[in-house]
Amino acid sequence: MIAQVIAELQRILADKGEAHGPITADSLLLDGDLAIDSLDLATLVVALEEQTGREPFKAGFRMFTTVGELAALFDEAA
Amino acid sequence: MSLPAAWLHPDFQLTDAAGTVIAVDLIAAATRLADELPLWGRAGLAATDTRAILIALLAAEARQTDLFLIRDASTGTEIGYRIEGEAAFEVAPDAPDGHGLVWLQTSGSTGRPKWVSHRPEDLRARIAAGQPHARWLLSYAAGGFAGLQVILSAAIGGHHLVAADHASIGDLAALAAAHQITHLSGTPTFWRAFLMALGTAELPLATVTLGGEAPDQALLDLLRQKFPTARLRHLYATTELGTVFSVADGRAGFPAAWLDKGLAITEHETLAVIRDGVQHDTGDRVARVGDRLLFRGRLDAMVNIGGVKIWPEEIEAHLLQLPLLRDALVTPKPNPITGTILIADLVLADPDARAAAEPLIKAHLALLPRAARPAMIRYKTALPTGQTGKKLRVP
Repeated sequence: MIAQVIAELQRILADKGEAHGPITADSLLLDGDLAIDSLDLATLVVALEEQTGREPFKAGFRMFTTVGELAALFDEAA
Repeated sequence: MSLPAAWLHPDFQLTDAAGTVIAVDLIAAATRLADELPLWGRAGLAATDTRAILIALLAAEARQTDLFLIRDASTGTEIGYRIEGEAAFEVAPDAPDGHGLVWLQTSGSTGRPKWVSHRPEDLRARIAAGQPHARWLLSYAAGGFAGLQVILSAAIGGHHLVAADHASIGDLAALAAAHQITHLSGTPTFWRAFLMALGTAELPLATVTLGGEAPDQALLDLLRQKFPTARLRHLYATTELGTVFSVADGRAGFPAAWLDKGLAITEHETLAVIRDGVQHDTGDRVARVGDRLLFRGRLDAMVNIGGVKIWPEEIEAHLLQLPLLRDALVTPKPNPITGTILIADLVLADPDARAAAEPLIKAHLALLPRAARPAMIRYKTALPTGQTGKKLRVP
């Protein structure tokens, strides 16, 4: 799942024409290292939901700060 | 001339990208501007960022000049321009000179905002003085209604306002920690992102305010857990009525008991607000769950994306201006960050021309405000239709 999250993030960043360093499981999503905002993050989540058919946020918002934490939420929802 | 700036508290401080200014400096700048205003003939003022807005508010009021606050910096001009001849003001109202009104832009799906005027004294009427030595961070666009309320709250209360116009969420979280912010108001979308960006950093928040969208219980619980001593409240407001109520018990929705107090439910199960004996239908659907009324989206097709009101059909109409598209369906999809996001299903006139069409579609969507751009595009050979031949709107 982590590879899938990273691939989708790279696609979104490429789409925006934003350069970025290596993305790992420990990369923070919204601390400013990656040039993404709330709408990009929403796009990421919706794209992953479409691809996996899983809905980890069905019951409402849950906290996550890193790529790995987001991937874990999707793994849990399997 | 001297300014009748009685509302600007002498202890007020503003920190923005250009540094820190204090009340006396703002008054000096506004006095210079007010002195220049008569030289410009029929003048209005335009302002986008926090510092310019405060200076313009003071000068415009002293001269009874109209002030236009611009939400999107790309269409704005800096303070000090005349209204006439500015391309940015094609959409500005034909405001009579000298009424001293403050004009705000309402958000729109397709970038043609409407102007709404307010008397400056009405904008200030709802501001409470608040605690001394409060430190505010501005999360809203400075030139919008919510942003102006925060700016005025800090200016009238004599507080410290940190306003990093157009900062990223990561920068806002860093500023909040650096300045040990005590008062913060934002949309639920802002708060989710802010919590994520803040990580384990601690903030001495005394007041946590949510507005612009209905928050879910999971978010309210997270905020309560992260800021256990803060006063947590969510506001319900409409463009026409302003703030209708404030909920302070940390629970989503509002108490059903309030239905006796100026609120009602219409036959369409939407919330109505009764003002001066007149019932105003808000179009916001509500459902009763136990002793609460919870918001359940809109009766009309409007969707709220991070606090911005969007009509998907307007996005479809915008897309269908492109001759290379045969059909377009834009539907909202719920998501945990911004509440809703848009998905576009597109049918190309020439299905084999996708590679050539994609950059043109992307460029055409880039003309729309950020929140109105579909987050995902799916290419289809045909759109689903109901028995009536109408496009199916259910996602």
